[in-house]
Amino acid sequence: MSWEKALIDKAKEIIDMYPQKRSALGPLLYLAQEKDGYISNDSIVEISNLIGITEVQVKSVASFYSMYKEEQTGKYLLSVCKSISCEINDSRSVIDSVKNFTGLENYETDTEKVFTFEEVECIGACGGAPAVQVNYETVEGLTPEKSLQMCEWLKEERPEIIVAEELQEKFGGVKSFDWAIKDNTGSSYSVPGFQNIGTAKEKS
Amino acid sequence: MTDQIKINVNGSEISSKPDQLIIEACEDSGIHIPRFCWHKRMDPVGMCRMCLVEVETPRGKALVPSCTTKVSEDLVVDTESDVVKKAQEGVLEFLLINHPLDCPVCDKAGECPLQDQTMAYGPGESRFVEDKRHFEKPIPISEIILLDRERCILCARCTRFSDEISGDPLIEFIQRGNKTQVNTFPDEPFRSYFSGNTVQICPVGALTSSSYRFKARPWDLKKVSSTSNCSSVGDSVELNVSQNKMLRILGEDNEFTNQGWLSDKGRYNFEYLHSDKRIETPILVKNSNKELTINETMELISNQILTSENPNISFIVGHNSTNEEYYALNKFAENLNKVENENKVSTTNFYLSDDYLYNGFFNDDYSLGEIKDLDSADTIILWAQDIKDNLPTLYLRIKQAVRNGKKLLIFGHTNTAIKELSEEYYGENIVTNNFEFNVDLSDIPNLSKYIDGKDVLAIVGKASPLQNVNPIFQLVKHLDQNSNLKILNCFSKGNTLGALQNLDIVKGLNEFVTEFDSSKKNIVFTVGSNPVNNSIYSHKIKEALIDSDFVVSLDLFKNETTELSDIILPTTTFGEKEGTFTNLEMRTLMQNKILPTPGSALNEWEYWLILSNKMNLLESYGTEAELNSMLCKDYIDNGNIPSFDNLNKPSNLDGILNSKTINIEVKNVDSTNLEILFVHRLYGDSSSQINSPSISMLGSERFIEMNSATYFGSYMLNSDVVTLIQENNSIQVNVNINENLPDNLLVIPINRRGFQDLNPEKKVELEVAKSREQLSVT
Ligand code: SF4
Ligand code: FES
Ligand code: FES
Repeated sequence: MSWEKALIDKAKEIIDMYPQKRSALGPLLYLAQEKDGYISNDSIVEISNLIGITEVQVKSVASFYSMYKEEQTGKYLLSVCKSISCEINDSRSVIDSVKNFTGLENYETDTEKVFTFEEVECIGACGGAPAVQVNYETVEGLTPEKSLQMCEWLKEERPEIIVAEELQEKFGGVKSFDWAIKDNTGSSYSVPGFQNIGTAKEKS
Repeated sequence: MTDQIKINVNGSEISSKPDQLIIEACEDSGIHIPRFCWHKRMDPVGMCRMCLVEVETPRGKALVPSCTTKVSEDLVVDTESDVVKKAQEGVLEFLLINHPLDCPVCDKAGECPLQDQTMAYGPGESRFVEDKRHFEKPIPISEIILLDRERCILCARCTRFSDEISGDPLIEFIQRGNKTQVNTFPDEPFRSYFSGNTVQICPVGALTSSSYRFKARPWDLKKVSSTSNCSSVGDSVELNVSQNKMLRILGEDNEFTNQGWLSDKGRYNFEYLHSDKRIETPILVKNSNKELTINETMELISNQILTSENPNISFIVGHNSTNEEYYALNKFAENLNKVENENKVSTTNFYLSDDYLYNGFFNDDYSLGEIKDLDSADTIILWAQDIKDNLPTLYLRIKQAVRNGKKLLIFGHTNTAIKELSEEYYGENIVTNNFEFNVDLSDIPNLSKYIDGKDVLAIVGKASPLQNVNPIFQLVKHLDQNSNLKILNCFSKGNTLGALQNLDIVKGLNEFVTEFDSSKKNIVFTVGSNPVNNSIYSHKIKEALIDSDFVVSLDLFKNETTELSDIILPTTTFGEKEGTFTNLEMRTLMQNKILPTPGSALNEWEYWLILSNKMNLLESYGTEAELNSMLCKDYIDNGNIPSFDNLNKPSNLDGILNSKTINIEVKNVDSTNLEILFVHRLYGDSSSQINSPSISMLGSERFIEMNSATYFGSYMLNSDVVTLIQENNSIQVNVNINENLPDNLLVIPINRRGFQDLNPEKKVELEVAKSREQLSVT
């Protein structure tokens, strides 16, 4: 499906932030990802027209980075860290409990499109290992039980906006840092919540 | 600038230009460093690491890629050390991990850099026992190109070519790591005028062309260098032949012209040579296509000439003859005028079958430029036909010049792809639909900034057949007064300049129809031309040929013109004859013969010779070489004349620049109200193209171009189907939207059949097909 006017306007605003149109490619791909939960070919065509590069050049970038999804994710993208710090803090059992609950293998999405599960490399939360991201909002200091509870909560509550602090409060443990600034923005789909491109969503 | 620096390679000193890459400096001194990704006509990327060499650094010896490292004074390089050898083995072992090694069924085997370099530098044995990566075997990425991703070694030559050189990046690397592959976007095939070049530069058999697939093994090919007729750039090519069949054309790197590249038309337009539709014996058309012997036909023709009462003899010539053939024709015509009998020939005239012919700039008032001036000029001015369609390899040179910072200014409104390259585009606000200036030349915005006191190369020619050329002369005069101007006359077709140099006076098709006097006896020769198709004068030419007393066509195929002839004489073409070719900068290049003459066909000059003999007009030549030495006498500067001998010297393989007096007598047309702009697109439906199966479909669609909103208020969409209605004519065509066009102008490709009967000065009604989905026209 092609883009609505509102989305195109937003894209144009983003393009204006860069000296060259094509530099806006990264953020525009996030807009596409937020729209459909993956980078659709239709979106690629839109983006290519907007920034004046060919479709295959857009595709080249979109398929290079693993945070741009080529297939639609579920409402909640569960990215469980499998790198070293988490590994030595027993991320295996966190991974197992998430896998058990969702019944998903790596990169799989359930049929109702609620969860997508993936094992990822270090997400920069080693101080609070083991860590997990839900729609790129980070929770630290998880245990197998807490992660299970978190999944159940997501499944039942179906929150529209995921906010890291809320998850941390409800299910998290030790944290790497305390920034001491309250941040109640989060993300609404499998896209990081960026203020400057408008993917950050405020939870009232 | 000319300062050379010294570097030490493998213990001996060599000199190199400062700023050169190590790999280039070594190459210039005869030291070969193996490579896959580096290509001298493209930016280095350092993808493959095959070119690793050891250099001495303050911290000891280090391996560096020689294709991305520049030389410096006293640099010490080792290209053969044990460390280098180990590195080369390692690189090859890695490259072969996922390579399928299907050489026995691969077109590239035998001329494959991966195969050759594995032999020369490889480890000999593989330690890889795991499964190789698999992809679906060749996938078509366009009508003419196939891609086998398993064979690809990810050198990025093809993707860089399509981005840097041809500027249509429709192929790219997709995915990452082990899954990385070259591919196109779904439903967006690699439709580029230049796609065949990627097949030639791919260092493995990943990219192949449908025309050459499984046709031959490289060691079975006979090869000869030649010059392409595709456009008047005169691209240097290598013809590959096996068992007397042309199988492939490769681009050769000629520094002055194509620099190794070819358009796909230049590369694939050769299969017609072996078409079973080729005419191989003389045909008496008017006598139910009876086949004749050469002797019988020559009798017939010479009798006609000798017995017709003071005939006007017209020669409508094409652009595929060699200089020698034009010269022989010219001599024949000269001699005809000398026949003294009661039926003395009254006139002989040459008409070049090219609607874009005009008088051009050939007198001494202006200095003529060369293609290489693109690289040294400050500003390039372009007012001509669509360069990408008509002089594709010149387009690449212009693109390269712009990439190197030259400023391109474009006048007129027929330019599409090239518009994106321009610094200033003087379209409809400056130049009207009738090609006149809207404004005073000195008021053109920014023009003086780019030309005043600068080195300017102006590429000028007619952009459309019915263009009044006075504004072009006006512009050139203005440029000349304000800049250091050089001119490149933009005649686009084949050996046009050869015709102009070797025929005494050349006129255009318009002159043919206006001078044609049906009250006289008329004998017309069409020589490798099909003027009854492809010309805006086709209609009138057809009538004239019908009214003529005797028409002889020298051609390869039957076509609209031969239908009206009395006699068809089978001739030879590109690859079947030896001769010289003169390109648009008046560089003369060799065309070589590698194929036998089909059937009883003869070269054009042989017909002129036999006819002369039959009519007792004595000629003093008997071979191409003799013709060549005769025509060489007329070159202006006898210092470096383009004789066969000279051209075959190794130092002259890039051709010889030389000039002759040129006389073109074309009257200016003055059309006041252009509604249709006739253009030539690269692909059309000429006999040669429709008889070359690999590319025949590329020119088959009938379409018109216009901008989206406006042909007198009709709103159009891409690939709408419309009916063009003008008086009694109605033609159904597809619409291609081209936003660079001005309002109220229809652009029509005259080299596709079906448009001949439209009158460019009359308005055309458009009727959109009722259901847009229902119809598709092919
Ligand atoms: S297809 Fe050929 S030219 Fe293109 S990246 Fe692969 S190996 Fe290189
Ligand atoms: S290792 Fe898991 S967050 Fe760094
Ligand atoms: S040729 Fe130098 S890295 Fe490929």
